[in-house]
Amino acid sequence: MKILCALIKKEFFQIIRDPSSILIAFVLPLISIIIYMYGINLDTVKVTMGIKNDDANPEISTLIKSFGHSKYINSIIYDNEQDIIKNITRSKIKGAVIIPNDFSKKLSKGQNADAIVITDGTDVNTANYVQNYSMQILNQWLSISKYNNLIRKDIVNPSIRIWYNQDLNSHYFILPGSLAVTMTLIGILLTALVIAREWERGTMEALLSTSVKKIDIVLGKYIPYFILGMLSMAFNVFMCCAVFKVPFRGSFVILFTVSSLFLFTSLGIGLLISSILKNQFLASQISIGLGFLPSLLLSGLMFPINSMPYFFQYLTMILPPRYFITFIESEFMAGTVWEIVFINSIFLSVPGIILFCAVYAKTDMRLNK
Amino acid sequence: MNTVKIKNLIKTFGNDRAVDNLSLDIEKGKITGLIGADGAGKTTLIRLIIGLLKADSGEIRTLNLDPVNQKEKLTPKIGYMPQKFGLYEDLTVIENLKLYADLKNASYNFDKLLEFTNLSQFQDRLAGALSGGMKQKLGLACALLGEPEFLVLDEPSVGVDPISRRDLMTMVRNLISSETTVLWSTAYLDEAHSFDIAVVMDKGNVIYKGKPYDIAKTTKEFENKIIELMGGYKQEKSLIAESYEPVSIDIDCSVEAIHLEKKYGSFYAVKNNSFCIKRGEIFGLLGPNGAGKSTSFKMMCGLTRPTAGTAKIAGTDILKNPSKARSKLGYMAQKFSLYGNLTVKQNLEFFAGVYGIGLLNRRKRVDEIIEIFNFKDIENHKSEDLPLGFKQRLSMACALIHNPPILFLDEPTSGVDIITRREFWNHIISLSKKGVTVLVTTHFMDEAEYCDRISLFYKGETIAIGSPEELKQKANADNMEDTFITLIKESGKK
Repeated sequence: MKILCALIKKEFFQIIRDPSSILIAFVLPLISIIIYMYGINLDTVKVTMGIKNDDANPEISTLIKSFGHSKYINSIIYDNEQDIIKNITRSKIKGAVIIPNDFSKKLSKGQNADAIVITDGTDVNTANYVQNYSMQILNQWLSISKYNNLIRKDIVNPSIRIWYNQDLNSHYFILPGSLAVTMTLIGILLTALVIAREWERGTMEALLSTSVKKIDIVLGKYIPYFILGMLSMAFNVFMCCAVFKVPFRGSFVILFTVSSLFLFTSLGIGLLISSILKNQFLASQISIGLGFLPSLLLSGLMFPINSMPYFFQYLTMILPPRYFITFIESEFMAGTVWEIVFINSIFLSVPGIILFCAVYAKTDMRLNK
Repeated sequence: MNTVKIKNLIKTFGNDRAVDNLSLDIEKGKITGLIGADGAGKTTLIRLIIGLLKADSGEIRTLNLDPVNQKEKLTPKIGYMPQKFGLYEDLTVIENLKLYADLKNASYNFDKLLEFTNLSQFQDRLAGALSGGMKQKLGLACALLGEPEFLVLDEPSVGVDPISRRDLMTMVRNLISSETTVLWSTAYLDEAHSFDIAVVMDKGNVIYKGKPYDIAKTTKEFENKIIELMGGYKQEKSLIAESYEPVSIDIDCSVEAIHLEKKYGSFYAVKNNSFCIKRGEIFGLLGPNGAGKSTSFKMMCGLTRPTAGTAKIAGTDILKNPSKARSKLGYMAQKFSLYGNLTVKQNLEFFAGVYGIGLLNRRKRVDEIIEIFNFKDIENHKSEDLPLGFKQRLSMACALIHNPPILFLDEPTSGVDIITRREFWNHIISLSKKGVTVLVTTHFMDEAEYCDRISLFYKGETIAIGSPEELKQKANADNMEDTFITLIKESGKK
C-alpha cells in the first residue's frame, strides 16, 4: 500500500510538472469543444441559390418573393442562364431554380407544370438541402396561391412531434458525443506515453530493483490517470452544460459512473500499447491511429452506423466508443433509460477488464536485453 | 562467505553470447571492481546477478537466494544504481529520495546522505537540472537507501570529473558497513586499482580475478597489466593518419577564441574565454562538470551564439561566415549523434554528402574510411546496435570524412574501454603530427598528459593554461589528477 501511494504521488508530480499532460487533459478538450460547437454544423445552413423566372405571369412573382423570404435561402435573381451556369461552376451559388415560361399556363390548365431545380452535386449534403428547400417553398407557395385547388387533399394528416431534441439542434448530440472522443484521447494518448517513458529513461530498471510488485506498477499507472481523466470529464461536462447550454436530462451520477467505465477501457488500451512497445514515439503514433480515428469515424458520432457497409457495422461492435456514444447521447437528451445504461455498461466494462488483465500480463518485471 | 556464487552461467541474445559459461564468486564485505572492454558482458552479468535478466542456463546464488524465483526476497537487500542512474528528472532531489525510500521501505532520514552528497542546498531542485556529477551522487544516494547488504553500481563514474569521482568513492567507503559487499563496474583503472578485488571480463567470461595490488603496485603498471590481460595493445602506425591529407592552412592560430562569453540571465556559463591554438597542436579543455566546456565547444563551432566575443576557425569568423568556418572543422559531439537506424555505411555516406563531398568521390572516400577504420564486418549493422566503443569510432570516422584540418572532440573517450582509448589517442597524436589541430575535452587525467597544452576551466573561466608539465609544477603535484584537484580547490578558495 505504501509503495502504491508513493508511485501515485510520483505520477502526480510528473503530471503537474509536465505541461503536455495538462494540455492533453484540459486545453485539447476545450479546443475540440469549441470546434464542435462553432466549426461543425450538421443543421440547415443558409445557402445562396439563383432564380430565373421566364414566366411573365404576375402570380409567379409571389413565388419568386417567397424564395427571397426563406430563412434558409439567399436568392439572387438572374436573367441569363449562362450566368447561372458560370456562378455554379465558381461555387458562388449552390444551386438554381428555373421557372419556364409556360409554368403558370400549365397550372391554369391543371396540367403538370415543370420547374427546373439544379444542384451542385460535389457537396452532397448541400445539394440535398437545396433540393428539399426548393420543393418545400414550391409546395408552400402552391397551397396559398390561387392554384391551391390543384393540391390533392390528403386523407391522412401526419402531425409531427419531435422527441428528445425538439429543435433538431445537432449540437445537442455532437457536443456530448465529442466528450467520447476527448475521453478516448485522454485515456489512450496520455497513458500510451507513460510506461514507455519509464523504459526509455531507464527509471524502469531502477524501479524493478526495488520491492515494487507488478500490481503496484499497473495500479500506479491506472489510478493517477483515472483521476486526471475524470477531472477532465467533469471539466468538459461543465463546459457543455454551463457554458454552451446543452440541455442535460439524465442523472450526473449515472453519467459519471458509466464514463468511468469507458475511461477504464481507454486507459487499458493506452497502457497496453505502452507496455508492449516501450517506445514513446511509436506508442503515440499507434494510439492516435488506434484510438482517436475509430472513435471519431466509426463510433456513430459523425456517420450513422446503420448506413455503413456490413463489415464496418460488425467492426463497430468491438469499439468501446460506440457504446459510450449511444449512452451519452441518450443520457443527455432523453434522460436515464435503464435499458441503455445497463447494456452499454456491460459492453464497456468487459473489454476494460480484459484489457486490465492484458496490461498486467504484459508488464515485464525483467529486462529483455 | 560469498555474497554471489555463479557456476557455468550462459546468457545469449539472438546469436550473441553475452555471458559464456562464466563461473565467479564475489566475497562478502569486499569492494569488487568489474573491468572489461565494451560489450564484454559486464552489464549483462550485473543484471543477471540481481535478477533483472533470466539466464539461459547455469546457476546463480545471490545472498543465498535464487535471483529469478526469489526476486521479491532479494531486492530489498540490494542497492542498485543502473547506468542511467534511474532518477526521475521531473522530480526534485528530495522527492526522488522520498520516492525511493518508500519503495524500499526505508526511513526518511536523509541527513547523512545529503551531507555526503553536498545536495542539502539543492533539495528542491529538479533532478534533471543537476550537473552530471550531482546526478551521479543522487543516484548513489538512492541506491544506498535502506542500508542494502549488497551494493551494485553499473559504471557510476562515466562522464564525471575527477573531483566528483573522488567524492563518489568517499561516499561509498563511508556510508557502507564492513559487512556490505560492493560490486562496482568501471572503465577507470585507477578506481579499480583501489578496490579490494578486481575481476577482468572479456567476451563474456572472467579472465582474471585477484587483488589489484598483487598485479601491480602503481596505477600505471596496473593499466598496462590489464591491457595485457585483455589481449594486449600493440601501438601500430595509425592508418587513419597515414592516409590523411588535411586541407593545408597557412595561418598562425588555427583556432582562436576571442573574449568568448555566454550569459544565461545573470549567470555566466562562459566568461571572457580567449585562447589561440597553433597548427598541429593538441589543446585540452579540462574542468569539472558544468564548468562551461561544452558551451565553449558549441560556441566555437557555431552551434550556440555567444553573447559576446567570437571565434575564428582557420582564420574565418564563425559568426560572420559560419558555413565556411565549419567546412574546415570535424566535430564529434559528446552524445552519440549519428542516425541510429541507419547502417554504418549509410551514416558515412550521409555525412560525406552533408560535408559536400561530390557524388563521384563519395563512394571512394566511404570505402577508404571503412577500410581504414576496419568497419568491413559491421558496415551493414545498424549503428544503434553497436557497442559504445564502435559507436565512438564511427562518430570519429564521420567527423574525419571530409579531411578537415581542425578537429573538435567533446569527450571522445567517455565510457570507452582502455584499449579503445589507447587506439583513439594513437590516432589523435598521429593526426596532429600531420598538422591537424585538435581541441579535445576529457575527464581521464591520464589522457590529459597527451595534450600539448591544457586550459583548466572552472565556473566559466580559465583558471590555468599551459603544458601538462607546467601545470604540475604550478600545483606542485606529480600527476595530473592531483594537479587538477589542487588547482580547482585553490581557485575555489579565492
